[in-house]
Amino acid sequence: LRLLESFAGGLLQAAVLLALAPLLRGLIKKMKAAFQTRQGPPLLQGYYDLAKLLGKEPVRSDTSSWVFVAGPRLYFATVVAATLLVPVIHAGAPLEQAGGILVLVGLFALGRFALALASLDTGSPFGGMGASREMTVAALAEPALMLGLITVALWGGSLNLGELARSSALRGPSGHPSELLAAAALFIVLLAEAGRVPVDNPATHLELTMIHEAMALEYSGPDLALVEWASALKELLFMTLLVNLFMPLGLSASARPAALAVAAALYVGKVFLLAVAVMLVESTNAKLRLFRVPELMAVSLGLGFLALAIRFL
Amino acid sequence: VTDLLPWAFGVRLAALALSLALVARPAWCRRLAFAGSILASGLTGAAGLAVLLGATPPHGILWSHAPSGFAFGYALAPLSAWFLVVLAALAIPAALYSTGYLPHALPPVRVAFVGVAFNVLLGAVEAVFIADGVVGFLFAWELMTLSTAALVATEHETASHRRAAFVYLAMSHVGTGCLVAGFLVLTSLAGSPAFPAVLSGGVAAGGLRDVLFAVFFIGFGVKAGMVPLHVWLPEAHPAAPSSVSALMSGVLIKTGVYGLFRVCAFGLGAPRWDWGVAFALVGCLSALLGVLYALAQNDIKRLLAYSTIENAGLILLGLGAGMMALSSGRGELAAVGIAASLYHVLNHAVFKGLLFLGAGGVVMATGTRRIEELGGLARRMPWTALFFLVGAAAISGLPLLNGFASEWLLFQALLQGFQATLTLSRLIYPVAGALLALTTALAAACFVKAFGVTFLALPRSEAAAGARESPRTMLLPQAFLASACLLLGLFPGFVLQALGRVAASLPGVRPAPEMARSVFTVAPGPGHFDHLAPVLLALAVLLAAALAGALSLAPGFRVRHAPTWGCGGVLSARTEYTATAFSKPLMMIFGAVYRPTREVQALGEAYFPREVTYRAEIEPTFERFVYEPLTRSVLAVAHRLKIIQAGSLHAYLAYVLLLGLALLLWLGGGR
Repeated sequence: LRLLESFAGGLLQAAVLLALAPLLRGLIKKMKAAFQTRQGPPLLQGYYDLAKLLGKEPVRSDTSSWVFVAGPRLYFATVVAATLLVPVIHAGAPLEQAGGILVLVGLFALGRFALALASLDTGSPFGGMGASREMTVAALAEPALMLGLITVALWGGSLNLGELARSSALRGPSGHPSELLAAAALFIVLLAEAGRVPVDNPATHLELTMIHEAMALEYSGPDLALVEWASALKELLFMTLLVNLFMPLGLSASARPAALAVAAALYVGKVFLLAVAVMLVESTNAKLRLFRVPELMAVSLGLGFLALAIRFL
Repeated sequence: VTDLLPWAFGVRLAALALSLALVARPAWCRRLAFAGSILASGLTGAAGLAVLLGATPPHGILWSHAPSGFAFGYALAPLSAWFLVVLAALAIPAALYSTGYLPHALPPVRVAFVGVAFNVLLGAVEAVFIADGVVGFLFAWELMTLSTAALVATEHETASHRRAAFVYLAMSHVGTGCLVAGFLVLTSLAGSPAFPAVLSGGVAAGGLRDVLFAVFFIGFGVKAGMVPLHVWLPEAHPAAPSSVSALMSGVLIKTGVYGLFRVCAFGLGAPRWDWGVAFALVGCLSALLGVLYALAQNDIKRLLAYSTIENAGLILLGLGAGMMALSSGRGELAAVGIAASLYHVLNHAVFKGLLFLGAGGVVMATGTRRIEELGGLARRMPWTALFFLVGAAAISGLPLLNGFASEWLLFQALLQGFQATLTLSRLIYPVAGALLALTTALAAACFVKAFGVTFLALPRSEAAAGARESPRTMLLPQAFLASACLLLGLFPGFVLQALGRVAASLPGVRPAPEMARSVFTVAPGPGHFDHLAPVLLALAVLLAAALAGALSLAPGFRVRHAPTWGCGGVLSARTEYTATAFSKPLMMIFGAVYRPTREVQALGEAYFPREVTYRAEIEPTFERFVYEPLTRSVLAVAHRLKIIQAGSLHAYLAYVLLLGLALLLWLGGGR
């Protein structure tokens, strides 16, 4: 029965996060526009786009192989599976039996691997450019991500996110300065993983600057919808991870509906705050040259290491 | 249970003798050699497996020589059994593959030669793993080195292959020299050449123990491919025929790892903390430099060879973590590091063997190892592409495959080591963890390049455009290894149960019984530290993939095919992204490691050149700054010593006489 319960919980969690992901992107876009005193696209534009793309017939390149078809599907699948490993409003994750932080990072890597290969398959130089840059940025972000995550995990005594959520929901945030440093480190990684300014620009279609867009350039119809949806979900998931690791406030330890409703409201508030932070960074910074990105990642790595050092020495 | 090992050696010797007798009829010689090899490997693998499943480890005497009192004793301890199973898991597919591959790659007589050398090599490696005495071990070790050198020089018409064999021999003998020295000291101290006496742990103490550790570390390190003793590896591994390359990368470097386990970690008494740190540091260095150099290669077999250095580094890092835990008396934690290391030994054999076999198929179909001339092979060689992709994903440490399982375990060993240590020195663990994360991500970039440029998009040459799929004898072994990648990744519990037995047989290591909680779940740690259940994860991913499939079918099954958009121009293989371009950003970012030199020449007018030539190379740092000065000074000394090499027999006889006299005086004086 518990298995069935967690199965149902998992389905629900994945469905809700999938449903919310396009809204988050729309929200950031809208706030960015407001910040620049523009009108901006409608808040729900993400949903309109997905609906349109899912109804269209895909166009695929003559030169591509099955890898091109499999890429977006595997990318989507890994991100959706990853939603099951992260606590959202309940102090526990539906699929926490399967693994913790390392599996989460591994799933992201698998999705990235699939999409990078798929983008090489059309023979377009843009695809290659995107794949090369994506793998480069990911390689630099990976140690920073890992260091930031293990700082939190080692303090909580577990690499399992459900376990961590339970212990931090009971304890509450410690307010230790190391948490601030680790949060800053992971915030930088979030900007890189979600393809945000200053690492990548989600609004650009200028070939020389894009990373993620270059990988998705040859996709159309439902294939493109899967890629875009999964990317939005990945961003939401990353933000969820961040807010729940560093602001566990509101994670409900019980499954009572009232408690969960409060937790849900708090969750929306926390993610909104983080979205505002992302929007502010995007609006006030210019995109970095590709070869300045390593410096940013080094900053993140340094912050992560400092966080670890002051926490454990 | 009957002891299968003597039978295995008997079969191998019979196959050898018969195939030598049939050299005049190459086809029969070839079939016999490889069929015999498969049978013998099957027998040794079964013997090893039996021990891993709990049978009493057999021991005995394989061959003895009464007049000299020499006997080749063997003992199949669980550690040896593990390595023997790893060997068999790769040797059987490699032998089957050879029957399909070699006749296309080499002239018939040489195929017969390779068949014979292949058997000698495998027999020697098996003997290394089971030898129970110093003399037998060193004899097998040397036989292994010589037969490998012969196989590296299979195509000795090419100067670079001859050089590769020479460098391999030179480096190996530096290593063997260290081993002989170390074992002589140990044997004279122990008073017996048998391993139980020599490696009992109490033979040497104090400073001598440290010196012996260093000597063996170097001696076995050469074989294991650790940086900076790795220079032979990227030359030798690509030079051999692909099935032999698979064996060299998959298993031969593991003989060095076996030695490091047997002697450095568990043969010299309880390891010191510094020894573990040395292992971890060299492991991290090898892993990072190995993958960085691999990323820069555009020759597919050289790329795979450099990635072997990376994986050897991961194996050493796991062993280092185990030794550090052992030095502070934490047997349960040590078991995690040891298990991670040994798990990766098996995994690396499986996926690197798979990748080399796939690369061999590509080389056979296209006649080139340069990936810049390949492309589009996924449509022409679909099975090879699929299997290579599985191997590439596994070696990149991606979940659901075996590479992830062992790297996950390695992270556990490091992070639990951090939890368990309370001094400042524990910072080494998270630093190693961050380096491990970097290495894994770089490996993913490296294999996106290796697979993407080789198999995807448009073919970049006529040869690639006309490639044909490999024959079934070559695909079957790859299918076997690819499914092994998947199974070893999905059911880590099976592997950890066997590894628990291996770890328990090592002195001081006490694996926790719940390390393998069930076949599906592993949880090597205290309380709720972490656990992994890949089958659950696979189910979730499959369900989500089904959802993706359903969503994408919303508009029905119609698909339009069109050429890739070329911005108004014609898109051809010339406009594709190249391998060099793919790795360029990382090469620039890690420029301090590569120290690249670039040369661009334009012919014609300044702004409208007729022709542009571009040449880029990376500096072989170790070759230039370590080995060149070293060889120069050795040659200089040799030059000086030429004075006493007069070429006259009388002088040499006089030397012998003088030496004999000196020895007599020295021995007499000691009395």
